[in-house]
Amino acid sequence: MAEGRVPRAGADGKKFERRRRAAAAMAEEAPEDGAVRTLPSLRRLSRALPFGRSHGRLGISPSGRLIVPALCSQEKADPQKTAFLLRKAWTLYSVTPLYGFRRARLRDYARLLGAFIAAEKQKGLAVEVGVELDIKVALSSLADIRGSELDQAALLVQLSSRSRGSSRTSEDKPVWWGWFCSVFGDELSENVPEHFTCLPLFLSHGAESYTALVGSWFQKTFDCCFRRLAISPLNLSWMAAMWAGCKLDRAASAVELVFSVPRLAQPLDISYAIHPEDAKALWDTVQKTPGEITQEEVDVFMDCLYAHFHRHFKIHLSAAKLVKVSTAIASAHCDGIVKILHSQYLPGVLMLLTELAISQIQ
Amino acid sequence: MDETVAEYIRRTVLKIPRDEIKMMLQKWGFLSEAQLQTLNFHQIKDNISQEVVQLCEENSADIKQAAVLDIIYNHIYQNKRMWSVYQMKKSGEELEYFDITDFKKKFKRRLRSALKNVTITFKEYEDNAIWIRVAWGTPHKKPNQYKPSYVVYHSQTPYVFISSSVLKSTLPLLCQALIVASNYHDIRDMELRSHSLNSLKDIVFKRYSQNFQTCPPKPLQGGNVEPENADIRIVEENRSEKERIHRLNQEVFGSGPQPKLEFAQYRLETMFKSDPKMDVLDKKEPFRCLVKFSSPHLLESLKFLAPAGMADAPLSPLLTCIPHKARNYFKIREKKGLYPESFVSP
Repeated sequence: MAEGRVPRAGADGKKFERRRRAAAAMAEEAPEDGAVRTLPSLRRLSRALPFGRSHGRLGISPSGRLIVPALCSQEKADPQKTAFLLRKAWTLYSVTPLYGFRRARLRDYARLLGAFIAAEKQKGLAVEVGVELDIKVALSSLADIRGSELDQAALLVQLSSRSRGSSRTSEDKPVWWGWFCSVFGDELSENVPEHFTCLPLFLSHGAESYTALVGSWFQKTFDCCFRRLAISPLNLSWMAAMWAGCKLDRAASAVELVFSVPRLAQPLDISYAIHPEDAKALWDTVQKTPGEITQEEVDVFMDCLYAHFHRHFKIHLSAAKLVKVSTAIASAHCDGIVKILHSQYLPGVLMLLTELAISQIQ
Repeated sequence: MDETVAEYIRRTVLKIPRDEIKMMLQKWGFLSEAQLQTLNFHQIKDNISQEVVQLCEENSADIKQAAVLDIIYNHIYQNKRMWSVYQMKKSGEELEYFDITDFKKKFKRRLRSALKNVTITFKEYEDNAIWIRVAWGTPHKKPNQYKPSYVVYHSQTPYVFISSSVLKSTLPLLCQALIVASNYHDIRDMELRSHSLNSLKDIVFKRYSQNFQTCPPKPLQGGNVEPENADIRIVEENRSEKERIHRLNQEVFGSGPQPKLEFAQYRLETMFKSDPKMDVLDKKEPFRCLVKFSSPHLLESLKFLAPAGMADAPLSPLLTCIPHKARNYFKIREKKGLYPESFVSP
């Protein structure tokens, strides 16, 4: 299997191309003629071809249609280690590459971050009033969370509290988690100069004040930039289509789409939940080629759901704002909040989110 | 005074907003005016409630009196609770004279024969409403005063409004006691729920503004839809469409305020139909969905969907029938036979 990439002649200069979603790019794309990289059991989402430059890329059909491979499941990740990632609501950020980050110095960083947090609390700038807590910082690598060999292993930051006065042997209570990761983020990492580490997706869970503290330390120390990652209705509908089509062994929860109609005198929320078997049956008839998804198929899937709704209620759901998608695999909210429910599909979901993060950075 | 009673009174007073405590204690009438004068209502609530408890101690309050205070609180803050509507059915046409004493006796007797440890409290209000509070215990435990059920019964009607305890098993007992006490033979859940008790009453007592059969549609003069444009150079292209939508809305919703419901839920078990050209799902089984509409004021927001362009006018009867059918939980199945496009709502 060819693992290497064939850079197209003339590719230089531009480091971060604009990338757009498949839909708009579909019409104009020229067929890819670089070497097509294949990976054994894993497929990746391809992105819209950037203008002027392309990499050897998976999944471009000879007919020139942009195709996106389906969500994959990865067997090798150890479910025990990643269990804590599931069923938590993670707030998403995009992070620009970190400068001067060295894996060997994780202990030092933990110490420095801990000192920073303590100093900020002294200044009275931080966290909860009236709570006497010592915050302990731990940094660790999550080797299993990566897509290809080109991805950096994920980096976990955990803040725990230990109430003052308790003995050394008392347990620390975790109060905040944040982790950086890159799953098939090669688009970013291959263009980046030396000394930069690419971990474009950041997920946090816990008090917003801690997120701000950790974020500002990283920004200061590694000269990077955090930005909240919102998820557009277009991307949410992709997630709905992809996740509805996933095969699940046990009884799954419904595929729920939540719409908001904001500009009325009285705001209206509409929750549209479809039985998972029926949603999958619909998607299976829409998707023409297994392992690939096109924008057109997502549109047809959503239009079918809209039409069924309209038949009953005479309401045009397409005019409402899709704000949340919830399935047995994962749920995602347009404010950039994600909950992953199924360990089997963790890499697939992260891959998708990495892609969104990279789009926002570029 | 029992410690648990003291604690219960203390916690009940704490729930009340500070500037309303005096009014509620007066309504309660358990403490004399002289005692109320001794209270300082300008201190923090913690202290106020402690003082109230002390006064109650002086008067030897028991749980019955404390329960009355709780009813008063919940009567004023009725919209904090979720209410469900039930309809009772009589077997015959006999119009019996309603005797409140008889009702209370039978109610208490029925409940106590099933469950020894219950606290039952009644309070009558001016609008013919009887408020009933029931705190539930077990054969071995005293009633839990913090998870009671509340019932509002208008004796001239077959309707009861129940705010159920979180202890779910108590509902059947409660329903049974109600029919026995009121001489009905059956009770059914109307699948109508809301926080706004008054709106629920409006719906079942038909006190809301109905459709055009009760008030004739006003002829539109253009100004009804939007303020007149002063500039005559501006012409609305779809003025007639807007007027049509407005008129249809009036017909359906009437011109008065709508009852306040917070949600409507539809369980859809209809077939999925699509354009055959699209070559998608063509199953013989229903496409199962659960649709839930939520809003601080659902019917008002639905009223504005068509004018906002988000819905066709006339709006679907599945939505507009909510007040007429007096329910907000629906199960929709495909209607078999001649008219496959229409729906049946059982």
